[in-house]
This record gives sequence, C-alpha cells and structure tokens, in this order.
Amino acid sequence: MSADKKMSRRDLLKLAGAGSAGLVMSGLPVTVIAQDAVTIKVQTAGLDDNTLQPVADIQMARNPNVNVEWVVLTGIDHEEVAAKILALVAAGESIDVGYAATEACQLFAGQGLAAPLDDLITGDPDQDFWTDFFSDVHPSLVEAMMYEGSLYEPPRDFNAANMYFNTNVLADNGFDVPGPDWTKDDFLEIARGTTKKNDAGTTDIFGYGWTNRLWGSWMPWIFVAGGNLYTEERAPGGEWVWDGYYEGDMAAAGRGGGFRWQVPVANSPEVVEALQLVVDIWKEGVTPDIGMGTGQTLTGFYATGKLAMTPAGGFWAGRLANEGMEKGDFDVQLWPAWRNQKHQFGTGGHWLSNTSTAPDEAWEFMKIEVSHEGFQSSIFFNPVIITTPARRSYSQKDAYETTGPANSDVFYDTLDEHPSTSPIPAPPWSNPMTTIFTTYTGFATSGEMEPQQALDEMQAELESLTNREGRKYYQE
Amino acid sequence: MTSREMTAKGGGIWHWLMQDTMDGLRRRRALLGYLFLLPTLLGIFVFTAGPVFISFGLSLFQWNIFKPPDYIGLENFERLLEDRRVIIGLVNTVKFTVMAVCSQVSIGLILALAVHRINRIWLRYYFRTAFFLPLLMSGASVAVFMGYIFHKEFGPLNYYLTLLGIPQIPWLTSSDLVMISIAIISAWRNMGFTFLIFLGGLSNLSQEVLDAADVDGAQGLRRLWSVTIPLLSPQILFATVTGVIGALQVFDEPYIMTRGGPGNASRTLVMVMYEHAFKHIEFGYGSAIAIVVFLMILVMAIVQMWLWRNRVFYQ
Repeated sequence: MSADKKMSRRDLLKLAGAGSAGLVMSGLPVTVIAQDAVTIKVQTAGLDDNTLQPVADIQMARNPNVNVEWVVLTGIDHEEVAAKILALVAAGESIDVGYAATEACQLFAGQGLAAPLDDLITGDPDQDFWTDFFSDVHPSLVEAMMYEGSLYEPPRDFNAANMYFNTNVLADNGFDVPGPDWTKDDFLEIARGTTKKNDAGTTDIFGYGWTNRLWGSWMPWIFVAGGNLYTEERAPGGEWVWDGYYEGDMAAAGRGGGFRWQVPVANSPEVVEALQLVVDIWKEGVTPDIGMGTGQTLTGFYATGKLAMTPAGGFWAGRLANEGMEKGDFDVQLWPAWRNQKHQFGTGGHWLSNTSTAPDEAWEFMKIEVSHEGFQSSIFFNPVIITTPARRSYSQKDAYETTGPANSDVFYDTLDEHPSTSPIPAPPWSNPMTTIFTTYTGFATSGEMEPQQALDEMQAELESLTNREGRKYYQE
Repeated sequence: MTSREMTAKGGGIWHWLMQDTMDGLRRRRALLGYLFLLPTLLGIFVFTAGPVFISFGLSLFQWNIFKPPDYIGLENFERLLEDRRVIIGLVNTVKFTVMAVCSQVSIGLILALAVHRINRIWLRYYFRTAFFLPLLMSGASVAVFMGYIFHKEFGPLNYYLTLLGIPQIPWLTSSDLVMISIAIISAWRNMGFTFLIFLGGLSNLSQEVLDAADVDGAQGLRRLWSVTIPLLSPQILFATVTGVIGALQVFDEPYIMTRGGPGNASRTLVMVMYEHAFKHIEFGYGSAIAIVVFLMILVMAIVQMWLWRNRVFYQ
C-alpha cells in the first residue's frame, strides 16, 4: 500500500482483525495465570466503610490467588436484607458467603440456600481452632444458628435486648440506674418519673421509647410476661456439637438441634398483657408514637436527652459514642423482671451458600472472620464496639473502656447468668411472620385496635401462615 | 412491474429494496425507520412486554424459586380475592392516587400560571429550576428526610406548628392521616414535572386565540376557565394520565417512611406485591398481584382517555 493511497474499507477491516487477534494473543498469558485465581462473592453492607475488608485482607495476604468480591446489600432491617438476597438469587446471581442474623438463619437454611457446616467443622484437621472457638462462645448463640440438627452459621455477634438509660435524664429526676434485679414496677416508676410534659400537655422528654420490629420492640415484654409468639421447642440432633465441643458445660445441657417455632400463641393472656402495658404507657404520653425501623431515629433523640430509656443491645454503645455521648452519659441494665426475667437475643454471622463455586475459599473466609485474628481486626469491634462480639473474650469490660457503658458486663451476663435466655422467634417463614407481627403491633399502638383484638387477629393470621408454610420446613 | 413480480422473477429482496424508483426509495426509508425503532422495540420487548407475559404465566404457578414451580391454575387469583391485605392495598392505592394526582396537577398548574406571568427571564429560570429540583432526588432519599420532617414528636414541621399554638399532628402514625401525608410528600416531589409540562403548554398557546379572547373582553378567571385551561387540555390529559400511572405504582415513600403502617393504613398494592414476591418468596402470588396492578393501570388509562375524548382541544 503506497503512502499516497487512501486506505480502503477492506484494508481497514483487515487491520482491525489483525489488531484484535494480537490483543487476544497478548491477553492469553494473563488468562492462563487468572485460571488459578479464585473469586468469592461475599455479601456486605457497604463499600465506603467496609467492615469486612480486614477479613478479606487477611485471607488475600495468606492466599494471593483468592480475590474477594463484595456484593453490597443494605436494608432497613434484617428481613429486608434477607429479601434482597432472595431477590438476587431469584435473578440468577449467586453469592458464596452471605450474612444473616437469627431473623433469617432458618429462612436460608430451610430454603436449602445455606449449607450445613457440621462436616466442615468436625472434619477440619485444625480441631484446636474449633475447640477454642466454641469454648469462647456461649452455647445458646450456637443453638440459635442451628436448624434441624445442623449448624449453619458460626456466631460472630449477638445482641440481647437490655435496657439503656440516659443517666443525665435519670439524675435530673432523682433516679439511679437500677440493679439487675429490678422489676416492671420499678421500670414504670422511672418511665413515668422521667417523662416531662410542657404546659400544652405534650411531652418534651419521654421516659421510654421503642420501634416496631421483631427484635427489641415489645418482644422483651412478651418474654418477661411469660409469653412468646410461638411455642418454643427444640429439634433433635446437635449432639456432635454439644458432646464434641461443650462436654461438661452446664450451659449446654439440654440443648438440641436448633429451635422449632411451630404453634402460634400470639393471643395468650401473657402476650395480651405485655401489649396492653406498652399501649397504656403510650397513651399516657410516656412513649412517643411508635414508628417502624431499627431505632436510628431514637438514637439521636436519646443522645440529645429527650429519651430516658430504650431497649438495645451492645450495638448501642458504639452508636451512642459516635453520636457524641461521653462515657457515663449512658448505662445499661438487664431487662426488668415481671413474671420471670427471661431475656431475648438475636445473633448474627455468615452462612455458606450451597451454590458456591469456591466453597473451600468461602469457608476459609468464614473461619478467618470468627478467628482471634478476625475479631482483633474487625471494624465491628474496633476501635469501638458496634455490635456485641459473640466471643466472650472480646466482650469483656475492657472492650467498652473508652465508650462505656459502665455495666457492660450485662451483655454477656444476659447469656451466662440467665439460662432461660433464648432467641427471638424466627422460623423459616420469619419474613411473613414479621410482617404480621409489625402490622398488628401497629394496629394496637396507633389506637386502631385494642390489644386483645389486634392479637386475636395476629393469631389468626399466624395460624393461617403456619398451616400454609410450617409443615414444609420442620421434620415430623 | 410490481415488486412481487420483481421478486418472483428472481431479483431477490435486495434488488426489490434497492430498486431505483420512488417505490424503492420509500421502501428504503421505511426500512431505515424500522431499523431506528428496532433498539427501542427490542428494549420494550425484553424489559417490559416480555416480563409482563412471563408474569401472566407465573401467576398460574406456586413458585418459591428454590423448587420447581407447581401449576395451580387460577388459585392465586382466588386467594387474592380473599386476601384482606390486597383489598386494603387496593383501597389505599386508589385513595393515594386521587389525592396525589389532584394535588400535583392543580398545584403544578397554579405554579405554572404564576411563573408564566413573571417577565424577568432569570427569575423564571430560577423558579423553574427550584420547582423541578425535588424530582431529581430519589424517592428513597426524599422518604428518609421527610420521615424526619414529619416525625410527630421531634419533627421540625410539628415544632413550628406548635409555635403557632397548633398541637402536634401524628402525620405518619395516625391511620387517618398517614395517606394524606404521603400524598402531600409525593405531590411536593412530583409537581415539578406537571409544572414544567404546563409552563411549556402556556408558552405555546395560540396568540391569535388569546388576542381574540381579549377583544371579546375575556379577562381574569373567565379567560383562565374558558380559554387557557381548554387550550391546555392536551397537557392536562398527559399530566393526569402519567400521574395516575405513576401514583398507582407508589412504593418508595410509604415503604421507607411507614412500611405500610400503622397497621395497614399506608400499605399499597405494589407494596403487597413486593412483600409476597420478594419477602415471602411467593413469586406466583406476587405475579398475580402484579397482573392486577397492570390491569388497573390499563383500565384507568383507557377510562381517562375515553372520558377526555371530547374535552381535549389540539391546536
């Protein structure tokens, strides 16, 4: 082709073809190398301040061929995150490692989306790791992550519903933080005594505040009144963990293969009484109107001295510190006793997807996360605690040294000192169950229905739901 | 020789298309037109029409994505007739649609009439931008900050109302008020769109007709009612139809601010559909509800077009 000749279209196509071939050839060695690389997709809540990045860094430093790809999923509450994971799977996407709190653990296990971990743990050559792990984690947290005899998530964090106090509001009204054996009547005295109304009759400072959701919410009142949404039974199985790792531990005695919530008892007299209590104090103006959500709004009001008490777990310590509350401005105590002092909790961790294309690497990620190294580097627990560590050794007083609360022992004591403490009811159909629970709670707390009527209708819907769904998931 | 004859004679499609006649030229132009339409048609088929047809099919199955679907005929439709949440969602959606569309069309029209009278161009630009800005925000972010503003005890709105001696209003926590509050918020966000449509319409009104109205002595409200609004009828129809279609699909604001509460007071039909399909993993039932939403939108659009058929004046 001479210099003065214009390039024809055919020449141009030839050149483009040759160029493309060259590019493909030059890329070949890269492809060959990349064949050894393994990418695992891990669900996380955000990339800007990715709490899981340190875990990925540890894994990638140990094994440079592993690449962790983040699947960002956020939600207002746990059931919404679970719904998004399900939508992702429905759309044909896959994840190798997903996060679920108690709310969704049996949901993923029941759908066959999560893989049982029993064989991975018992067959792990590094048994010292698991002996150490289980010795550091309360058995109730492990049991809450089990379904029909198998463990689906090694617990990473948990939150028991305790009572938080704004100590300044309490002091202004002549109250001290109560002791662990305080009662419902003590609670009412403090709640009413700290509520301040203005001349117009509207409340400026509320004695107590809560939000409408499954965990926290008014569920702790249901527990201490002696009720529950469902009967609480234990599935058989789980001996491999109780005999293998918790032998001799009194707290593990009598535990089974995970909880079964099978028979709705939402309109029992105890539950009605619990709902009546929170509705009554709302009507008195002790409690602000009950909104939906995780209590983010309440955090601000609490931090600005407009709330005296609210249900929360260890996650509030870091959150309040981040809101600017100083150590000593707030404290925590066990939930008050009523007919009993049975506490509720929810725990969280990662599950391994049954459809994972790299299960070994995904499992390695999960192990690192619950290892000492993982806990020491985790942004969840450093520099401040933003959710209660499932490992007892990371939930001691020194972990809350900079932020408070002074009574931080309460978090793990809720498990250690109270054997009756159990998880919130979360069967495999927990998502529709939560919708029903929050809907009828809303009916009662907006004054549209009396507690008895709301709970009768809740019971009817739960029965219908359980008849439709229940038999699919729990073995006879 | 006709094109059919040409083809039959073995000239082929290419020859038929490239024929150097007026017919050939028309064919090439038509083909070019279809080629330009093709990407859009493909998009509509793949992302809109296709999923609609698939939803029709899915609504006849019980399917939780993890197990093969079971054919159950019309059971999902029978179930939704008895599902109280679906009925409530339908009623709430209709209530919301009436309130939101009426307010965004009327407020948009009033604002457009006011801004159209402003002679200073920069000021007109300023208002145009200001009224349109809320539409650029995502529904989710609007819902989050409006949730704070409308909070009964701690929201700034009630704070200022109490300064005026008005007691705190439970905007989002009263069953009677919650849909009104959500409609107000939705109208605030969407009125920028109707405002722009009306402003564009006002700028293009026939000067001859307006002059004739002046000569006939039509002024003020009489001119507005008898001349301006009839001339704006195509824009009003467009704003109403698109507004109704959008309002029937309301989801972001009630879901984020109230999650359908208190009770079921702000639960909309699309929210019920979302809950069943994605939270409860009942894709068949969710699809059946989606079909109801689709048919509702279709019927409403047809009814509106029919009602307005003799009232729209195209210049």
